[in-house]
Amino acid sequence: MVVIDINKKYPEIWEFLAEVPDPEIPVINLVELGVVRNVEKEGEKVIVTITPTYTGCPAKKLFEDLIREKLVEKGFDQNEIITTLSPAWNTDWLSEATKAKMMADGISPPTDDNKIVTCPNCKSTNTKMISKFGTTPCQSFHSCIDCLEPFNYFKCHR
Amino acid sequence: MKVTIENKEALWLLRLADTSLIMGQRMAEMCSNGPFLEEDIALSNVSLDLFGRAEELYKIVAKLDGDKFTPDEYVFHRNEREFYNIKLAEQPNEDFAWVIARQFLHDVYAKEAFSQLESSKNSDLAALATKVLKEIEYNLSHCKDWMYRLGLGTEESNHRLQEAVDHLLKYTSEIFNWDELDKANYPDCEKIESTWNNEVNRVLAEVNIKRKEVPELTMRDFRDGFHSEHIGHLLSIMQYLPRAYPDAKWS
Repeated sequence: MVVIDINKKYPEIWEFLAEVPDPEIPVINLVELGVVRNVEKEGEKVIVTITPTYTGCPAKKLFEDLIREKLVEKGFDQNEIITTLSPAWNTDWLSEATKAKMMADGISPPTDDNKIVTCPNCKSTNTKMISKFGTTPCQSFHSCIDCLEPFNYFKCHR
Repeated sequence: MKVTIENKEALWLLRLADTSLIMGQRMAEMCSNGPFLEEDIALSNVSLDLFGRAEELYKIVAKLDGDKFTPDEYVFHRNEREFYNIKLAEQPNEDFAWVIARQFLHDVYAKEAFSQLESSKNSDLAALATKVLKEIEYNLSHCKDWMYRLGLGTEESNHRLQEAVDHLLKYTSEIFNWDELDKANYPDCEKIESTWNNEVNRVLAEVNIKRKEVPELTMRDFRDGFHSEHIGHLLSIMQYLPRAYPDAKWS
């Protein structure tokens, strides 16, 4: 699967869009998260296509606001943000580097079909699920049986 | 403001949008009322999914009907008889078992309905169906876990789940009274009913809950905007603020 459909035409725009953090998991940005799907230009106007993670994600509206804010900050007053639902967002779009950043920040990154959940504190895989739902729609809540650390796991979603 | 809808497909889609919204509002009432913290968060997350799904469905409704109204206007500016949700959705949170049983009976139906809509000719709806199906399956697995725990837990939990199921089953038969609009938009209406019956029967049998014969519902069909008494109370709370303060904005 394509990790991210980067349109090479506008690397400078992609670069500053990568400065927009996920509002709930600020250690990763909206490009890494796979929310930004495409960048186009029509004359002076920048058109950014985004896709929501979960349909009920409370940050859905904020994604749009934060991207618009960044575009304006960089001088692109003329802009349009289009939302697409297809292809549906999935965690296969997260790169290994992005997953490593999550782990370092204390969020256990997604693994194939949630088979192995690693404790971000002691790296043990001897962990258990506490609740299918964590602090955001994209995470579930776990704890480590070895070091007893409670932690969020970014669910595999595909 | 009088919200009107003319397009036939939009009118049909409103049934799914309203069902998702009203399920979401009922579940939102559980926020801060869950049996313990993790479950409180879980139920609130389920509610968010339902609201998110409803919002996306209202966007498609709006697009089909010439973008005359926004999702908020569909939600806040229609009256009881202008809502087309299934009556199951509006049944109250009498007990935690009611919350779980309602969600279970709904999710089994929603799963098959949205599976079929993945092949909809309306590409917006097909894309949304693919997206929400994963969320429905996740929520279904959560309430199914609770069906097992309650049904096979104690005598008390089994008794309370049985009461919830007995009440809620009365409101499920109307889901399958398909009309022409349903038949035009679902590839296989009969399969929605048979899949629902098979899965509900299977789980109820496994969790020691009897599926009793329920009297036929004497209320008229949700497709014509008929409801149980609960919808008005639900709407009065949900719609109060934007109706009392029409230009109110979050700031």
